[in-house]
Amino acid sequence: MKRYTINIFLFAAAVVLVLLAQFKAPGSDSKILDGYVLSILMLIGINCIFAVSLNLVNGYMGEFSCGHGGFMCVGAYVGSLLSVAFFSNSKLFGTALFAPYLAPFLFPLVLLGAMLAAALAGLLVALPSFKTRDDYLAIITIAANYIIISLIENIDAIGGPRGFSGMNKTINAMTDLVSLPWMLMWTLVGVYICVAVVRRLMSSTYGKGISAVCQNEVAAEMMGINTNRVKIMAFMVSSGLGGLAGVLYAHVYGYVNASSFGLLKSTEGLVMVYLGGMGSISGVLMAAVAFTLLVEVLRFVIPWLNDGLHAIHVLPDSYQLDQVWTWVFIPLMLILLMQFRPEGFLGNRELTHVFPRLKRWFTLK
Amino acid sequence: MPLLKIFGLTQRFGGLQALSDFSFQMEEFQLVGLIGPNGAGKTTVFNIVSGFYKPTEGGVVFDRKPISGLKPHQITALGMARTFQNIRLWNNMTVLDNLRLAGYAWLGYGFWNAILRTKRYNQSERDIENHAREILEMMDLTDYAEEFPRNLPYGLQRRVELARALVSKPRLLLLDEPAAGLNSADVEDLIRHIRWIHEKFKLSIWMIEHQMKVVMNLCQHITVIDFGCVIASGTPEEIRNNPSVIKAYLGDDTL
Repeated sequence: MKRYTINIFLFAAAVVLVLLAQFKAPGSDSKILDGYVLSILMLIGINCIFAVSLNLVNGYMGEFSCGHGGFMCVGAYVGSLLSVAFFSNSKLFGTALFAPYLAPFLFPLVLLGAMLAAALAGLLVALPSFKTRDDYLAIITIAANYIIISLIENIDAIGGPRGFSGMNKTINAMTDLVSLPWMLMWTLVGVYICVAVVRRLMSSTYGKGISAVCQNEVAAEMMGINTNRVKIMAFMVSSGLGGLAGVLYAHVYGYVNASSFGLLKSTEGLVMVYLGGMGSISGVLMAAVAFTLLVEVLRFVIPWLNDGLHAIHVLPDSYQLDQVWTWVFIPLMLILLMQFRPEGFLGNRELTHVFPRLKRWFTLK
Repeated sequence: MPLLKIFGLTQRFGGLQALSDFSFQMEEFQLVGLIGPNGAGKTTVFNIVSGFYKPTEGGVVFDRKPISGLKPHQITALGMARTFQNIRLWNNMTVLDNLRLAGYAWLGYGFWNAILRTKRYNQSERDIENHAREILEMMDLTDYAEEFPRNLPYGLQRRVELARALVSKPRLLLLDEPAAGLNSADVEDLIRHIRWIHEKFKLSIWMIEHQMKVVMNLCQHITVIDFGCVIASGTPEEIRNNPSVIKAYLGDDTL
């Protein structure tokens, strides 16, 4: 029973979300979850995937990867290109490969293609990891991030620095067939797949090889673990799921630009992982939700703060507190967190360790 | 045909000659010792045999297969396991998980089976779990299954490491100073356990040890090396009375 209760609960929650996004509130013209709330929900989902996948390398394997944004970028671009090639007529690919009404059925292929491409890009980091560790590998991951971004910015056929768009047609094709909040549904499915993959991997003996490599590589090698293969596997799964976050992101916004997947994006991932606790799926999920909401809340708080500080004449009239300050407040919070709770929300534990009663409903380990 | 045959092993680290022309062989189901003063090259021999170093010259044949040049995990898969002089357990995993992971060498599934939770995955995980629990039971460690190794006393950590090596189903077990840092009660336990697993699993065991009590008690045959060369080999009785061994350990003047 335990196996099914959590899945039934999650499925019910997903159905409720989709229904709320689907139907209008009585006596009102807009959907119960309007476009803005919906976009934040989807962003939370994307950030969950992004952070949980990064956690595989930074948390469980104990390497410091700072280039996760790069793999998200590969996923976003490859997914977008596949999407456009499959379902819309474009200058780049000519006529659509498939009829538009097939879009809802063939969209998983787009996701799969994006994940595969991102996983292959993960080799860029996995292969050097055989001989390099720690700080040096961290530098390689930064380099990989830059390589990917620059490469894409310099391919003019896919828009170069102007970015790439056209994915909206795929979404429109889906809504034309059945009017549903498709991207919300795909994002929910993506989050579920990502968490399931990481959870199943890390609770199997096969996946625990990752922790073994992290804690004592010599012992791991001696006890029969092919450490090189484990590293390749961990990096490829991590970057592949990062690519899933990317392709969803591209379709939620209908537009991608390589520059939005730079080091700042990778840093966001790091913030979420360290906020939640390395090696804890539930902690990182909580952190991804909290972080995304915090960024949104600051969007409102900063103007209020600006008005307030002007009203009491703390700030000079000539200076306006603007959104740039988001990136002062969030890093400041990170400094405080590292100072007072360096292990993050949950450290190395899962929610079920902190509240053992939850074990009746689900286990994450 | 010997189980392990080492011939002409030479290892140089830059200008340092750690081993020169080391030859050795052992039969199936033997329990033999390797002793020598500090820095004699004992651990170097183990590191070469288990695949961490590639020897400068010479080779190792295990169970009729040449193994020098193979990776440690490949050698483990052929049926060799070892413990370390300084304990190397996975400290953030429970004792049971430590043992389970040692079954990695004969894990019957890969990535997709783990993700899709196939029948094969379930079967393989069950086998590993049973085997690990069996070994725990045999080594009197069942009470500590859910403990983290770092919280256990040193003697128990040694025993966990020994148990972990057994889970990989070895035919040859290399023990690098299993009694290092143990008190005399723990040493008695260790001797008992080693003798017992030797009989029970029909294992061949090759050990490096400094404590003469352990070596003289357990080993049927002892090899002594000093400065990377074999200076004596024979039964414990012969070694005890060998003048060059006494010289290597105690120096010239005392004679």
